[in-house]
Amino acid sequence: MNTFFEQFPIVFNALNVGFLQTMKLFAVTLLGAIPLGLLICFGSMSRFKPLSSVVRTIVWVVRGSPLMIQLLIVYYFPGLVLKTAIWGGGEHGRFIAASIAFILNYACYFSEIYRGGIQGVPHGQQEAGQVLGLSRRQIFFKITLLQMIKRIVPPMSNEIITLVKDTSLARIIALQEIIWAGQAFMKGSQGISGQIWPLFFTAVYYLVFSGILTILFSKLEKKLSYFKV
Amino acid sequence: MKQWMKIVAILAIAVLALGMMSACGKKNADFDEVVAKGKLVVGITDFEPMDYQDADKNWIGFDADMATKFAESLGLGVEFVEIEWDNKVLELDGKTIDCVWNGMTLTDEVKSAMETSNAYCNNAQIVVLPKANADKYQTAEDCKDLKFAVENGSAGKAVAEENNFTFIEVKDQASALMEVAAGTSDAAIIDSLMAAAMVGEGTSYADLTYTVKLNSEEYGVGFRKGSALAERLNAFFKSAWADGTMQTVAEKYGVQAALIEQK
Repeated sequence: MNTFFEQFPIVFNALNVGFLQTMKLFAVTLLGAIPLGLLICFGSMSRFKPLSSVVRTIVWVVRGSPLMIQLLIVYYFPGLVLKTAIWGGGEHGRFIAASIAFILNYACYFSEIYRGGIQGVPHGQQEAGQVLGLSRRQIFFKITLLQMIKRIVPPMSNEIITLVKDTSLARIIALQEIIWAGQAFMKGSQGISGQIWPLFFTAVYYLVFSGILTILFSKLEKKLSYFKV
Repeated sequence: MKQWMKIVAILAIAVLALGMMSACGKKNADFDEVVAKGKLVVGITDFEPMDYQDADKNWIGFDADMATKFAESLGLGVEFVEIEWDNKVLELDGKTIDCVWNGMTLTDEVKSAMETSNAYCNNAQIVVLPKANADKYQTAEDCKDLKFAVENGSAGKAVAEENNFTFIEVKDQASALMEVAAGTSDAAIIDSLMAAAMVGEGTSYADLTYTVKLNSEEYGVGFRKGSALAERLNAFFKSAWADGTMQTVAEKYGVQAALIEQK
């Protein structure tokens, strides 16, 4: 197992398994955080003061503390404080805990992007809706939300590309994502030990994937450009 | 304001009460809990020859095989979970694992944070440095002017402190080696069992070698503080030594020379 060509297939396989885990966390986070962010956004814009101040405090705490600490808290607190490890020790439990921390964290960031998008839609648009006799619900879904989506594409793509790379933080609770898989070969795994290159090779995966996302987002932006106000 | 203080006081009392409840007579409670669960969850890192995976992704190695046999002796199943080594005490206390069984050096920190078994294997902390410099640094005294990289919270760090070496702490032993290879540190202090596998021909560290043995130390297994499992393991080690199982397993993984007699 000494030459690069003997090592490559084994490392490639291990990194693929790790990257699958990275992708899973990425997809689950988006699926959870995009709708949850909208709920949080409504909460923080609510005219009911107690609700909006509670939600804003949560957003402040979540955005103001490191995601790494949030991961540790979500995974270890149940066992340490409540004395029952609700997540269990296996890979599955670690994934769920990581998903919860990531969804909550990203939902808070998304909510602020949504808020900016909604508040950026000119007030005249709502007034126009009222003149046409639309209900508040209709105005929100048919006028504000549609225009908000177009406005938030650039900041959302920014945040989503950050998410791709942030998934590597989940290794702090031993979720075996791609960087974990790459680092395993520094110590020794599957007969390959003391190798540095697999760790750096993981960057290729991130680059390719964020490249694909960049192309997708610029396509989406073009598609939405007919909304020009 | 008063109301607010009341709530804080109640919360504080609740936390204290929880803490006290958990402190009372847990010795067998932990053992019973593991038995009720039906399996022993073993926290490990990928570390040849102690815990590593074979081609079929089964965990093997001296520690993995002994852990499996120990769990069998209690009528339990075994589950191996890879952990982040820095978080081993968190994992134990958070009950996500039941023991740390991974060539763990019995340092004072480990002994105060965990219920440890008897020592079962000898190890040493050794200096790893570029081959080109190896001749110049053959004793601990020679090494005084080197800048070391050591693993955060490891036995290697403790040795560096004892010898008054200049050192920086890095995330793990593998990172310490990378520091040396990259020239950001002059030398690293790591486990001898690990150094044997990680440096020299056929690795990314072909230009590195190891020279001075700075201490000798022992490996043990860690359980939750106060757990009766540690005593059970000591008894198991004794019988496994007496009937030769332990020696056979050690020979399989080439660690027989480091084994400590169990009596």
